Formats: sequence, C-alpha cells, structure tokens
Amino acid sequence: MRALVVVPLLAAALAGPARALAADTPAPPPTEPGANATALWAALQLIPSPEVVVWNGAARFGARWQVTPLLYSFGINRKLSRWRGFVVEPIVRHSGSSELHLSPEILAGTLAAGTERWILRSGLRSYFPLLYRGDYLSGSAGGSLVHAGDRNGVAFDGGLHTLGGFFGLRASYCPTPGLRITTVALEIRIF
Amino acid sequence: MPSRALHQAFLLLALGAAAAGCSVGTVLQRNGSAFFSTPAPVPHRIDKPFRADARLAVLWIGHASTLLQIDDKVILTDPVFTETIGQFSRRQVEPGLLPGALPHVDAVLISHMHFDHLSIGSLEMIQHKVGFLVVPQKGTVNIPDLAFETVELPTWTTFERGGLRITAVPVQHNGFRWGIDGEWMDTSFTGYVIEYHGITVYFGGDTAYAPDKFAATRARFPAIDLAILPISPINPRSLVKSTHVDPHEALLAFKLLGARWMVPIHYDTFVNATDAPGEVLRVLQGEMAAQGLTGEQVRVLGIGEQQVLVPR
Repeated sequence: MRALVVVPLLAAALAGPARALAADTPAPPPTEPGANATALWAALQLIPSPEVVVWNGAARFGARWQVTPLLYSFGINRKLSRWRGFVVEPIVRHSGSSELHLSPEILAGTLAAGTERWILRSGLRSYFPLLYRGDYLSGSAGGSLVHAGDRNGVAFDGGLHTLGGFFGLRASYCPTPGLRITTVALEIRIF
Repeated sequence: MPSRALHQAFLLLALGAAAAGCSVGTVLQRNGSAFFSTPAPVPHRIDKPFRADARLAVLWIGHASTLLQIDDKVILTDPVFTETIGQFSRRQVEPGLLPGALPHVDAVLISHMHFDHLSIGSLEMIQHKVGFLVVPQKGTVNIPDLAFETVELPTWTTFERGGLRITAVPVQHNGFRWGIDGEWMDTSFTGYVIEYHGITVYFGGDTAYAPDKFAATRARFPAIDLAILPISPINPRSLVKSTHVDPHEALLAFKLLGARWMVPIHYDTFVNATDAPGEVLRVLQGEMAAQGLTGEQVRVLGIGEQQVLVPR
C-alpha cells in the first residue's frame, strides 16, 4: 500500500525537477564542409574562359584559366573558417571575399612580333555581393601584375558574376606603356 | 543586365534540349514558358497569420514553405519568397504569405541545400524577424552571415530553445547545391521533428520513400500530430524515385509515421518535373481513396490557406 503511494510521489518528484530543468541546449558546433579538390573539380577547372584582348587597335581571341591559392571570406557564416585554398564554394566567394588569384592566358596569335602567346596575371581581387548576398549577382574589383613575354605591367579589373559565379563578365585594363592591353572575358568559373 | 542575358541563354539551351525530346528538356522548356508568364495571384492572402485561437495551425506558403504555429511559437519551413529559384525557374503562383506579413519567427528550418528549399534571398528578406535557423549537418557553409544564429543539427540531434525542441530525423535525399559539391556535401539533408507543449510536428522536407527511416522516427516520436510531407515530383519516375516520394508513397509514409494529420506540400509552385499542373493533386486524391484516407486526415491546403488543426 505504501509502495503504491511512494512510487507515484517519487516519480512525480523526479519528473517535476526534470521538466523544470529542461533548458536551452547549446548549439552543436558546425561541421566544416570539407570541400576538396576532387577529380571532377580538377577537370572542371580546365574549362577555359573565352576572352578578347585588344592591343594597339588589334584584337586577339584568347582563353584563360584561373586558380585561387588563397581566399578570405568576410561573408561566410561566422561559425566557420573564413579561409579557403583552391576550392571555394560559390557563396563563400560571392557573399564577400578577397582572394589571391593566378590566371594564365593564351592568345590566338601574339600581341606583337617577338612576344609570347602566353600572358600571366597574378594579383588581389575582392568580391562584393550585389543581389541576395551574391547568390544571384556579385561584383568584383582588383589589381594584378601582368607578365607577357619580356614585358611587365600592372592591370586593374572589374567584373560581374551570376549563377554562383559560374558565369561572369570581366574587363581589365593595363595602362603600363608597352603593354597597354584591354581584355574582356566571359568568365566561366566552377568553384 | 548580365543576369538577364544569362537567363536568355538558359532559355535557348532549354529549347534545344526540349527539341531533343528528353524529359529534362521538357522541364527546361516549361521553365522557359513560366519565366515569361506572370505568377498566379493568391486570393484572400492572409496578412495576420498568427492565430490567438490556435494551439496548432499551419499555413502553406507554397512548395515546401509552411508557417507553423504551435501555441505561441512560430516555425517557418524552407522559406522561399523570391520570384525565382536558381534564377531561371520562376514561380507559377505568388507566395501564399508575404515576408512583410510574417510575425516574429522563432525558428526557420532548412531541410536541404537545393535552390527550391534554401533561398538565400528569402533568408535575407526575413533575417530580422528570425530567432534562429536550423540546417542539416554541413549546411552552415551555404548560409551567409545574416542577422540570426545558424544551428547545425546532425541526424538524431535535438536542439532546444525556449521549450521549443527540434530534432533532425533521417530522410532519403541528397545534400548538394551545385552538383559538384555532392562529393563532400553528403549529410546536408534532413527531416525535422518539432515538439512544443505536447504537440509534435514532422517536417519531411524532400524525401524518397524510406520506410526504415520513417519507422525509426515513429519509434522515437510515437505521437506525431501533424506530418508535413512532399508528394511530388511524380515523373519522370525512373529519374526521381530515388529522391522523391510520389502521392502513393507519401501516404504510406504518413501511415508509417503514425501521424494524426498530413499536409501535402512540394507541388504546383515551381516547375521541377514533367508533372502537369493539377496532376499531382489528382493522383493524391485517387490514392487517398485507394488507401482509405479522408480529407479529415489528409488536409490539402491551397497556397495561402491556413488551417487550425488544434484550436485553443
């Protein structure tokens, strides 16, 4: 008989405090996504971005590739690492970031007699979101060192990017005498 | 301007693919048509969705977006208020609730990373009304730094705040956003169970028929009041079966979950399949009759419609 009374009382005593103690739980730590350079990613980086290079009134078609050795994102969720190398998720880049970039380009012809067909650019560029935190549209601006044959210059560039940055339009201008080139590229960039 | 030009380029691609006669082409072609048409208006759109007379109420905003109210708590699932998803798939019907009409939202639940479920533009629109956002494991990377806190929940993990308990439960889908990220975004999809004041709601997000997962959820949550379940795309079945339930399977899932009510979602809002407008609902109604389920159990809402399931 006593047990019949004690057990429910004990249960109530245990259940009561447990319910009262039910409190907010700490948020589990987020998981870094672990983006890495898979074979598919590497293959997609080989897709060139077509471009037109104008020098001394003459135009040359060309193709460019780009790699990002290092990127710092100021738009990424504050709970995650802001640094990326090579593989960069679209929203991490286009929600706001600064990157070191390297772009080899090859032209269908030379800029001038005796010059190489290859142009190499390396520099610093920043992305800023324009629409829906960069998910729909972002802009970019930056500067780079340009090396073509035995000529060196400095270039400035600006771009607009959509569809997660898979497609973009980038224009750059190098005012350095002897290498005064204007480039417009349809940028194709996947991660 | 560039985005408009790209939209047009996509439409050309769509037409080319449609000419090839494949089902993907059909989807693209229908998206192309929808892109140039005006979304259907929502008659009698509610502008004060918080119901003082409700213990449990649900409002279908469209697709997988629902506004749940459990007593004083408001939960929003997979909110999409933007005109398009993924920029080129335009909505066929206006949102059933405008962002400006939202009350304070205690929790937003994101089921997975696909564009029709995770709309960054929509989150940006409502960020100052949101308490916290819940995403599946690894999902945080696709949520930019907005005003609210982002909480990442691995499967079977529970997060509780202010008495509102949210548990990530297993479903069968995939977690990529762009395709290429599928190799590492391998856990960023989930369903949720929401508990508050003795009321339990299941949100399936997007899932294939996974009886073991539904049964496991029921084992842990034996008294689900409401199951919000997707019912499409139906076709092309061979292509979508591994990731999406059709109405027949959704009703089986409803039974396996042991829920009291079901609200069907994920149809007739965007073009993401070859299903004709109205086809999914017709199939659902046929399946309900075949499985002996009534409109009392399966609550079919119109976009913008709100129902009080448990009155105060």
